[in-house]
Amino acid sequence: MVFRSMQTATIALLGIVGFTALPTLAQQPDTGTKVVEYMGLEGVKAKSNGRLTLEGGNLQFTGSNAKATVPLHSIEDVVTGNDSQRVFRGTIGTLTMFAPYGGGRFLSLFRSKVDTLTIQYRDAEGGLHGAIFTMATGKADGLKKEMIAQGARTSIPIQEDAGSSETKPAAAKEKKP
Amino acid sequence: MKRILYAAGFAFLLLGAHVKLAELRAQSAPTPAMKASAIQVLMIQSDEIKLPADFQISLYENLIQQLQKQGGFQHVYRDGDHNAAAVADLVVLHSTVRGFKKGSEMARNVTTVTGKTSIDVHCQFTDKDGKTVLERDLNGKVRFIGGNLRATLDFAKKAAKLSHDNFAARPVS
Repeated sequence: MVFRSMQTATIALLGIVGFTALPTLAQQPDTGTKVVEYMGLEGVKAKSNGRLTLEGGNLQFTGSNAKATVPLHSIEDVVTGNDSQRVFRGTIGTLTMFAPYGGGRFLSLFRSKVDTLTIQYRDAEGGLHGAIFTMATGKADGLKKEMIAQGARTSIPIQEDAGSSETKPAAAKEKKP
Repeated sequence: MKRILYAAGFAFLLLGAHVKLAELRAQSAPTPAMKASAIQVLMIQSDEIKLPADFQISLYENLIQQLQKQGGFQHVYRDGDHNAAAVADLVVLHSTVRGFKKGSEMARNVTTVTGKTSIDVHCQFTDKDGKTVLERDLNGKVRFIGGNLRATLDFAKKAAKLSHDNFAARPVS
């Protein structure tokens, strides 16, 4: 009797584990760098979550409901930087500001560091576009290196850019059109 | 009777002064520099000021977005767009950053009075031949709510309004 109930419990447990494992397995094919598109990509809503991948000489952003592709050879500048953002942001972040006894102010002290990746590219008509992405810290430099290896250009070499590339040097800027 | 006459005379004088003031105000109001069917936005320059790349891009993209949102122009061309060359009544917006102070969102949230981010931009509107038609200094700032890049949106709104008020050929759509 005990054995049968244990068997039933084991089957049920395996069923639950299997059920929860399925979506995890389904997410496995997601490749690329998880980013937030802050602004700039054509056809993509600002502050959209998605993934950046480098495929066939293109930089591809795949969001939940939008997709954008930028040919790497059209990218004229890639600059990385770093910033910080509130842990509690968006609507919840705004609502916390009304918390009593300075609770909102206290919560705004909790911040997470992010890397930023800024690109400048030209469309088929020659028009200059810019896009800003934020991602987990430490990811931007690797992505920039890959982009440059595949044909993108930069005004700031990677060695200089690493760490804090808060500003562009004037000499680098002069090269730009 | 005499008092009524005085009062009527005074009221008449006040009315006359009001009308004259209104006329003077209308005359001093900035007349539209020129009407343009299209505007081209050039990339923000910041040769004197060290401006982070994300602020530069954010200024540029927000400016284009706000100009499109305001309406009044048939086309808003980007820097380098070949199609702009074919437009006869084109106005070109050159923006140069003259001042930049990066504040802190955390300081703003915690203290309310410190941590302001501000950007001062000199806007120069030229016609197709490069002749200056309007120059103005504008600024963008974020004092309380929002990240530092929000200052660029503030500037973009002001610049779009300035462009619309002075050059837009058709009313806001």
